Amino acid sequence: MKFYQTADTLIAEQDQFDLDVNDFIAGKIEPVKFKAIRVAHGVYEQRKEETYMIRIRCAAGGITPSQFKVVGELAEKYGSGEVHVTTRQEVQIHYVRAENILRVIRGLNVVSLSSRGGGGNTIRNILTPPDSGIDPDEEFDVDPYAIALTSRLIQEPDSWNLPRKFKINFSNSKADKSYTQATCLGFVALMKDGKKGFYVTCAGGMGAKPMVGHTLIDWIPDAQVYHVARALKTMFDKNGNRRSRTTNRIKFLWKKIGEDSFQDLFLEEYNKIKDDASLALNLIELDNSTVVESSLSVEVVDKPEFEIWKKRFVNKQKQEGLFSILLPLKLGDIEHSEVNRLADFLENFGDNTIRCTRAQNLLLRNIPEKYLGNAFNTIQKIETLSDRASFIGQMVNCTGASTCKLGICLPRGLSSAISSRLVGSDLDLDRLSDFKLNMSGCPNTCGLHHIADLGFFGKVSRHNGKMYPGYNVLAGAQLAMGDTKYAEKVSTISSKAVPDFVHDFLEDYLTKMDSVGSYKEYLEVAGIDKIKSLCEHYKDIPDFDDDQSSYIDFGATKPLSLEEIGTAECSAGMFDMIDVDKKLINLHNKRLSEATTEEDEQKALYKVLFSSSRMLLVTRGLDAKKESDAFAMFKKHFIEAGLIDEKFGDVVTLGKLNVVSELVNHKDLIVELSAEVIKLHKSMDDSLRFNIENKKVAEEKSVAVDEITFKDFRGVACPMNFVKTKMVLASLKGGDKLKILLDDGEPINNVPNSVKLEGHKILEQSQETEGHWQVLIEKA
Amino acid sequence: MRDFTEDQLERYSRHILLQDVGVEGQEKIMDAKVFIVGAGGLGAPVALYLAAAGVGKIGIADFDVVDLSNLQRQVIHFTDDVGKLKIDSAAEKMRAINPNIEVDAINEMVVAANIRDLIKGYDFVLDGTDNFSAKFLINDACVMEGIPYSHGGILRFDGQTMTIKPKETACYRCVFKQPPPANAVPTCSQAGVLGAIAGMLGTMQAAECLKFITGAGDLLTNKLLSFNAKTMDFRKVNIKRNPNCAVCGDSPTITELSDGEQAVCDIKK
Repeated sequence: MKFYQTADTLIAEQDQFDLDVNDFIAGKIEPVKFKAIRVAHGVYEQRKEETYMIRIRCAAGGITPSQFKVVGELAEKYGSGEVHVTTRQEVQIHYVRAENILRVIRGLNVVSLSSRGGGGNTIRNILTPPDSGIDPDEEFDVDPYAIALTSRLIQEPDSWNLPRKFKINFSNSKADKSYTQATCLGFVALMKDGKKGFYVTCAGGMGAKPMVGHTLIDWIPDAQVYHVARALKTMFDKNGNRRSRTTNRIKFLWKKIGEDSFQDLFLEEYNKIKDDASLALNLIELDNSTVVESSLSVEVVDKPEFEIWKKRFVNKQKQEGLFSILLPLKLGDIEHSEVNRLADFLENFGDNTIRCTRAQNLLLRNIPEKYLGNAFNTIQKIETLSDRASFIGQMVNCTGASTCKLGICLPRGLSSAISSRLVGSDLDLDRLSDFKLNMSGCPNTCGLHHIADLGFFGKVSRHNGKMYPGYNVLAGAQLAMGDTKYAEKVSTISSKAVPDFVHDFLEDYLTKMDSVGSYKEYLEVAGIDKIKSLCEHYKDIPDFDDDQSSYIDFGATKPLSLEEIGTAECSAGMFDMIDVDKKLINLHNKRLSEATTEEDEQKALYKVLFSSSRMLLVTRGLDAKKESDAFAMFKKHFIEAGLIDEKFGDVVTLGKLNVVSELVNHKDLIVELSAEVIKLHKSMDDSLRFNIENKKVAEEKSVAVDEITFKDFRGVACPMNFVKTKMVLASLKGGDKLKILLDDGEPINNVPNSVKLEGHKILEQSQETEGHWQVLIEKA
Repeated sequence: MRDFTEDQLERYSRHILLQDVGVEGQEKIMDAKVFIVGAGGLGAPVALYLAAAGVGKIGIADFDVVDLSNLQRQVIHFTDDVGKLKIDSAAEKMRAINPNIEVDAINEMVVAANIRDLIKGYDFVLDGTDNFSAKFLINDACVMEGIPYSHGGILRFDGQTMTIKPKETACYRCVFKQPPPANAVPTCSQAGVLGAIAGMLGTMQAAECLKFITGAGDLLTNKLLSFNAKTMDFRKVNIKRNPNCAVCGDSPTITELSDGEQAVCDIKK
C-alpha cells in the first residue's frame, strides 16, 4: 500500500530540479533563487553551511515498513545516518550535501515517497491523529480522507505556488487530537443522523502571531471534503497576501477582511463546484486487521519490565485482539540500523503499521496480543526512551538552532537536560502520562508550545547587556472541537534554570493533583502563581565575567550569539526574486552614476535594463531561462500588453540582441524604464495582480501612488518608533512622502504629533481593521 | 547619509528625538573631533559626556598620574586607578561608556612647543586645566589655529566659562589681558574646591561643545557666565572682542606661543 499517489509530473520536475542543483553548484544560479526552488522540493539549508535536510511527505503520518527502510538507507548513504520524525508527522533526512540531494529524492521515488511540497508556499503534509482508525472512542477513521486529499491536491499545479504554506489537519473525534483550530484548514469527524461528515474550521495558526481558527461550516457530508479544500485553496490563491512575508498565512486574510467578507469570498468559489459530484474523493478504507506470517514464533516474556512497559506504552485498539505501541524516540531520531530492525519486525504485520506522531515518536499499530513479547524484545534492542515514563518521550521540541537557521535556543539540549533532571528525581512521572510539555527554540511554533500544558519558546535575554538564552513560559492550553484555547504566556526564565523549574513545578502539581479536579483547575487555584514565583526564584543569573555557564545554552559550546541566525527558509518563494531585481536595479543605477569609463557605464546600463525586464516576469508566471528570454518576455507581456510605454520597446530589443555598446546612447531612457517598472510593482495589490489594466490607467494611478516610502513600525515601542521615523525622514527630500504603520495606543497618540511638531505634514491617518494605524507623512 | 545600526539608533535615540539635533545632528556628532586638555576635575565630566554622546574622535592630554586627592571631584578616575596615568584611566572609562568612539590618549604636558600640533585637525577644544598660564596658552593656540574652544575655570564654590570662536567673538585674552603673577592667585589645588562644582562647570562645557557641533541653540560667545554655588546665583556678563587684543586683535603682538612664568601648580602634595 501507499499513503499517497505521487504526482504524474514529479519525474519531470525532478529532472528540472537536477539541472537547477547542478547550476547552483556551478554558481550559475543565485542562492536566493535556488532557495525558492529547493524549498518547494522539501529541501532546506541547515545551519551548517552547504548541508541540507530533506523533508519527506507522510500523509496521515503514515509510512510503510518497506518505505521506512529505504528512508533509513538513504539517510545512511547520503545523510547523517539518522531518520528524524517531525512535529508535522513526517520524516526527514539531515546533513545531505548539495550533490546528493537528487540521489536522495530519486531514491525515494522507488518506494513512491516524495519530498515535493515539504516546504515553501505549498500544500503541506496533511495530518490525522496517529490513532485514527484504531481509537475506540473515534467517530470514524479519517486517514482515508487525508490520504485521498493528499493524492488529489499534489496533482494540482497551483498547489505549489500559493501565497504561503497551507496546512490541513483532520481529527477523528471531538477531542480534536490534531489541533484543527491551530491550522489553516481543519476537518473534525462528526456523525449526523447516521451519516459521516465533518465540522470545518479554518484560518487558525500558531507561529509568532497565534490565532485560533474559526468555524467555516458547521457540518458537511464527507463527500464534500475535496470541494471545501479546493474552494479555500483557490480563494487563498486569489486573495492571499503575496507581498508581506510575515502576514501572508490565511489567518491574516481572515483578520484583515473579517468573517463576512471571508465567508463571501469562500462561498463564491465553493458554490461554483459544490454540486459537482465527480469531484468527490476516491476513498480507500485502510485495513486495520492483521494477517500474521506463520514463520514468526511467539516470544514469551516474563519480566517485571515487560509489565511496566505494557502499562506505559501499549494500548488496546478498537479491533479485538490488536494493540498499538508507542515508541518514544530520543528527540525524534532513529538510527538507520534500528529502522531496519524495527521495519523487519513490523513487516510481519503488514504495511499499515506505522504512524509518526506530533510528539516526534512512532505509534505502531495492528500488533496481535500474543506478539507483544516479540515487540518488547525488538524494542529493547533499539535505543529509545521506552524504559522511562511516557512523559519523557512525549515531550515535544523543535530541532532548534542546531539545524534550523532561524532558531535562537537549542530545545533539543534543553529537552535532554529536563529528562535527566526528572529521571534523576523521585517524581512519579507515570501519573503525568498525558501531560504535554512542549518547547520551541524561537517564536515560531515548530515545538507546538501554544498547545502545551506547559510550554516554552526561546528568547534572547540580557543581563548587564550580555545576551543569554532564555525562554518564555506558557501554560494552560485547551483542546476540543471548536473550543480551542492557546497556552498563555505567564513569565520568562533563563534556559539554564528551566530543568529545575520544570521539576519544582511538576512536584507542586503532583502533590496537589488529587485535591483538584483537573490541570486547568490546578492552574487557576495554584499553578499560575507557582510559575510566577518559581520564575522569580530563578531569575538571578551571574555576571558574564564571573560565570559564563548561564550564557551558553544546553548543547551549545559558545555563548549565545545572534550572528548565526538566518532568515526563515520556509517562506522562500519565487516572489523573493522581485526584491533581488529591485536591489540589483538600485545597485547598478548607483554604479552607473559613479561610472568613470564607458565600459563600466555599458555594463551598469545592461544590468539595469536586464533586471528591469526580469523583475516582474514572475507575476505573470514567467521564468526566463536565458537572459535574452527575459527581454523577449518583458516586451511581449509588459510592453505589448500596454503595461509599460511602447517607447521603451526599442531599448529592450537592444538588450535582447545584446548590443551593449549602443546602450550608452539611451541612458536616460533605461534609467526611466527602471523607475517605471518599480512604479508598476508598487501599483500592484497584495496578491500581485495589477490594479491597472493598461498604460493609460497606469499614468492616472501613478499620480496618486507617486513615490511613497513605506515602513512598518508595528511592534516598535515609543519612542523608538519616532526615532526610526525620523531616521527615514532624514533620508528623504522635502516634499517626499513616507507611509508608516503604527500600533494603536501610545504610538498613534504620540508619533504623528511629534512628526508635526518637527514641521512635517500629516496627510492621512487611518485605522486598519487589524487595529493598527496607517499614517502618511510629507517631509517638510 | 550614514547608516545607523539598530544599536546606534537606540543608543542615540534621545539625541535623535530632539528636534534641534535629530539624525543629522547625531551624524555630525559622530563625525566630530574634539580635543580635551586635562583629564582632571573639568576634563572628567567633559570626557564622559562627549564619549557618551558618541563624538567620533576624542583627543585627551594629561601628564599626571591619578592621586587619591583627585577622586573627590575627578569622577572619571576610580579608587583602583590611583597611581595610574590619568589618560589611561580616562580612556578606559570613555571606551567602556561607548566602544564606538576613537580615543587618542596623549601622555604629554601640553606646552607651547606641542600644543598647536596636538590640536591641529580637531573641530573643538575644551580647556580643563587648573592654572592661568595654561588657560592663556590654550586661548592663544586656539586663536592661532582658528579652532573654537570652551574656556572653563573653577575655584572654591565658583565657576566661570565662556565659548570662543577665534577672530569672531571675544577671546579669553580680550577680557583678561594676561595671567596674574605667579602664585598671586591660588589654584584650586591650593585653595580647595567643592567637588560638584567641577561637574557643574564641566557639563556646561560639554553642552557647549555639543551645541557647537550640532549648531543647536546659541553659544556662550561674547558672554562670560559665572556662578556661585553657595547662593546659586548665575550671572552672564556681556563682553566684547577687543580690537587691541594682543592675540586676536587687529595687529596682534603675540605671534608665537610661550609657556609663561607660572607653568603649573608647583605645590602638589
